[in-house]
Amino acid sequence: MEYMGIDRDRLHFSWVSSAEASKFITVVKEVTASVKALGPATKFVKDRRQVS
Amino acid sequence: MKSYPRFIDPDKCTGCGQCAQVCPVTAINEFDCGLNLRAATYIQYAQAVPLAYGIDRDSCIGCGLCEKVCLAEAVSYDQRPSKAKIDVGAVVLSPGSDAFNPAKFDNYSYLKYPNVLTSLEMERILSASGPYQGHLMRPFDREEPKKIAWLQCIGSRDMNKCDHSYCSSVCCMYSIKEAVIAKEHSNVDLNCSIFYMDMRTFGKDFEKYYERAKDEGINFIRSRVHSIDEIGDTGDLSLKYVTAGGEIIDETFDMVVLSVGLEPKESAVELANNLGIELNHNNFIKTTDRDPVNTSKEGVFVCGAFQGPKDIPQSVVEASAAAAAAGEILATVRNTDTKDVELVPELNILGEPPRIGVFVCKCGTNIAGVVDVPDVTAYAATLPYVVYTTDNLYTCSQDTQEVIAKTIREENLNRIVVASCSPKTHEPMFQDTLTSCGLNKYLFEMANIRNQCSWVHANNPPLATDKSKDLVRMAVAKVGLKEPLNEISLNVKQSAMVIGGGIAGMTSALGLARQGFKTHLIEKSPQLGGQANNLFKTAKGELVQDLLADMIENVKKEENIELHLDTEVTGVEGFVGNFTSKLLTGGEESEIEHGVATVAIGGFEYQPTEYQYGNDPRIVTSLELDKKLIADDPIFKEIQTAVFIQCVGSREPDRPYCSRICCSHSVEAALEIKEKNPDANVFILNRDIRTYGEREEMYKRAREAGVLFIRYTVDQKPEVVIEDGKVIVKTFDEILGRPLEIETDLLSLATAVLPNNDVELAQFFKVAMNEDGFFVEKHAKLGPSEFATDGVFLCGLAHFPKSIDESIAQGQAAASRAVTLLAQGTVKTSGEVASINPMLCSSCGICVAVCPYSAPNFLEEGRFAGKSEINPVMCKGCGICVSSCRSGAISLKGFDNEQILAMISAA
Amino acid sequence: MSEWEPKILAFLCNWCSYGAADLAGVSRMQYPPNLRVIRIPCSGRMSPKFVLSAFMNGADGVWVSG
Repeated sequence: MEYMGIDRDRLHFSWVSSAEASKFITVVKEVTASVKALGPATKFVKDRRQVS
Repeated sequence: MKSYPRFIDPDKCTGCGQCAQVCPVTAINEFDCGLNLRAATYIQYAQAVPLAYGIDRDSCIGCGLCEKVCLAEAVSYDQRPSKAKIDVGAVVLSPGSDAFNPAKFDNYSYLKYPNVLTSLEMERILSASGPYQGHLMRPFDREEPKKIAWLQCIGSRDMNKCDHSYCSSVCCMYSIKEAVIAKEHSNVDLNCSIFYMDMRTFGKDFEKYYERAKDEGINFIRSRVHSIDEIGDTGDLSLKYVTAGGEIIDETFDMVVLSVGLEPKESAVELANNLGIELNHNNFIKTTDRDPVNTSKEGVFVCGAFQGPKDIPQSVVEASAAAAAAGEILATVRNTDTKDVELVPELNILGEPPRIGVFVCKCGTNIAGVVDVPDVTAYAATLPYVVYTTDNLYTCSQDTQEVIAKTIREENLNRIVVASCSPKTHEPMFQDTLTSCGLNKYLFEMANIRNQCSWVHANNPPLATDKSKDLVRMAVAKVGLKEPLNEISLNVKQSAMVIGGGIAGMTSALGLARQGFKTHLIEKSPQLGGQANNLFKTAKGELVQDLLADMIENVKKEENIELHLDTEVTGVEGFVGNFTSKLLTGGEESEIEHGVATVAIGGFEYQPTEYQYGNDPRIVTSLELDKKLIADDPIFKEIQTAVFIQCVGSREPDRPYCSRICCSHSVEAALEIKEKNPDANVFILNRDIRTYGEREEMYKRAREAGVLFIRYTVDQKPEVVIEDGKVIVKTFDEILGRPLEIETDLLSLATAVLPNNDVELAQFFKVAMNEDGFFVEKHAKLGPSEFATDGVFLCGLAHFPKSIDESIAQGQAAASRAVTLLAQGTVKTSGEVASINPMLCSSCGICVAVCPYSAPNFLEEGRFAGKSEINPVMCKGCGICVSSCRSGAISLKGFDNEQILAMISAA
Repeated sequence: MSEWEPKILAFLCNWCSYGAADLAGVSRMQYPPNLRVIRIPCSGRMSPKFVLSAFMNGADGVWVSG
């Protein structure tokens, strides 16, 4: 993914069991915060606009 | 039967929780052990089934608010207890147990100090849905503890007051688990100490967990704590205890957890008394090792902790065993009370453009209170291929189902989207509605706008509405690409093969045969019985040889059992419902067909290389000792001294598991020797004595009879020397603090139980073995008697070392699990399975390797020989093969690339 | 809009994280509304293709959870 130019912080992986609602919330907040900090993703969208 | 009213009709209740939100009452939350509060209209816990509320009339003030807000009209205050009479052929008692209440005794200081908790309270504190949302805090000041002590055997293994003499079986393991999880939840380097007498981690893989906990720095202190005192008003607790070396220590902890044991419920005891069922002196149901789930009353069976203290896997085994026992007496009336569902012929929608209907649910005010439902509905109407939209107060209600069915017919809808709640709870119900009007049930999709929008973004209605529109758009995009899927139904051959003619295998075969199924029992040796041929007595004192003789006779006279002695399985083909196995009997090959298979290939005794075994006839293994006991060898009258060494070949670095049965076996044999010769000196050299459950009473009897228990550690094992014709055992006694030498006339080595490690058989059925060589069951807790591969079952020593009664219970359990499959007559596949396009398949074999369910296989013949093919019967639709396939040859119906990509681009 | 909000696609396993999301709803826990959930049968179904496609379609982040 990094090779493709996608920032590591845009892609998240986690494991949450179906009983762990609070862990779910924690991860949602983390993911949202880290993506937000990076600002809008322009990589592919821009590419496509250039193509078309 | 008396049903108590819950004042909210569970059939009408949608689980929305409005009633609990408006309820002005605060009551104690019993489920969280009183650590927090709830309303009078409540649900016991978030995962409760059914997810329906009830009213606690003891705390309800009768204000009527919940009735006012309930749009489903489920509240009815005038419900009365109702009585019903049902005719049944068998009864299974599974009332469970209570946790021991330490408040009865002031020496535990449970009521005196707020930071002294029971282990059950600790469970709730550690739970993410518990009173502190999983944050580790102590109740006194909500501070994070830095040091926690667990005290074992609270209410167990103790006869001082009215505690219980038995071991509760589960507390050692749960305490280690709590300590490990507490460390994980803690933000500091949490110090955990477990105070114990014997660490009893005898279950499958439990010993490894214990070792891991030691590595993670959890302290295990062998000592019974003398007293607990609070230090001033700090909430901290001072513990006084004596170490094994005799040193008195005073240590301070922030929190103390009492590892409380299990005890029979008072209400269960009352029930048993009313039914006239015999209880034992501990008030557990009286059972025998021969029939572990039979009560004293014919047709009444028992399972779980009311049979005796036990953990989840053993409770699940017994539950299946009780079902098998009940099934045996009811086999002749099977399916006489069932109704067939009427099938509506399916509409052919092939080639039709999608005509999508979108139903948006208000869920009372649950969705509509936050999300602008009319706006979402209007938006849905603008989406491509959507021809019909509407909103409903409750889309899931029965009358709405009729409306949906009518609409599907009138509007000729061929794809349906319901925007409401979770497909995990409601999809099957809506799919039934589709089926009822002839629409294939896979032409359906849900948008979860309740759980993912209105409930979790309640403070931001505009965004919740936008998000709902997005979710609806994604669902519409996907459903347009959905196609009708077929559920193939295959006949299950009404016969079984059981491999292994020991106690577990014979029990399983008898269970299958008595429920009316032809059963092939395969035994590789010339005789039945397996290891039981070598055993003397069960823990309850029943003679194994008598039990075995009766069982063999029953097997031989059972018409439905075809016995294959001297026979090995040389090949297995096929899959659930349709196996063909090759047998080899004395050089002759034969073939049998069967719908299910049970693996009961047992285990054997470790042949020791240590402790001078083989160099003197007085040094024997446990089984050799039992042979002498069976033969009533005269040496027992003559011997002056007998020594047992425990853990021979078990709990060692290269064989890290505990063999579970050896402690009970040695204690039982020691008692036998003492009985034959009361003057004999009997020593049991051990690392921990693991006489779990009611076997503990045997340990107590042995101590009373004068059997001496001397502990050794794995770094300082006993030594055996043969000098001048004498067998001398040397060990170090940590209590006396000095070495001991015992000259003995008999040395019994409690040898490990080894699995038969039949790798070939494992490959035949494509089932897994763990690193110790025992078979890996479907689920360690919930599926102990079956494999992940459908149609293949497991019991006895091949699963893990276990006692005779446990082998019998698991044999019955394996039969019960197999019968549930056989009795259905057919297996139905899910429509959402993977399939391979043979034109694209490169025969790389990745799918065959990665599938956890062994569904893909290489075709052996035909046009596409050498290509892989997926058996839809075994496929669980996980999709792992689809993403692993490097040729892009595999597609997963219902979750296909195009469908997921459509959702992505619609998002 | 006062502040830029990212769009995040979440691929959730039906048996694990999707259940956690349901439970979070039942428990009325509140979280940022940036997620768009796609239910997959198992995290094994996940493919790099989906991640790329998500970014190509304008997602600012992707979260895969088993």
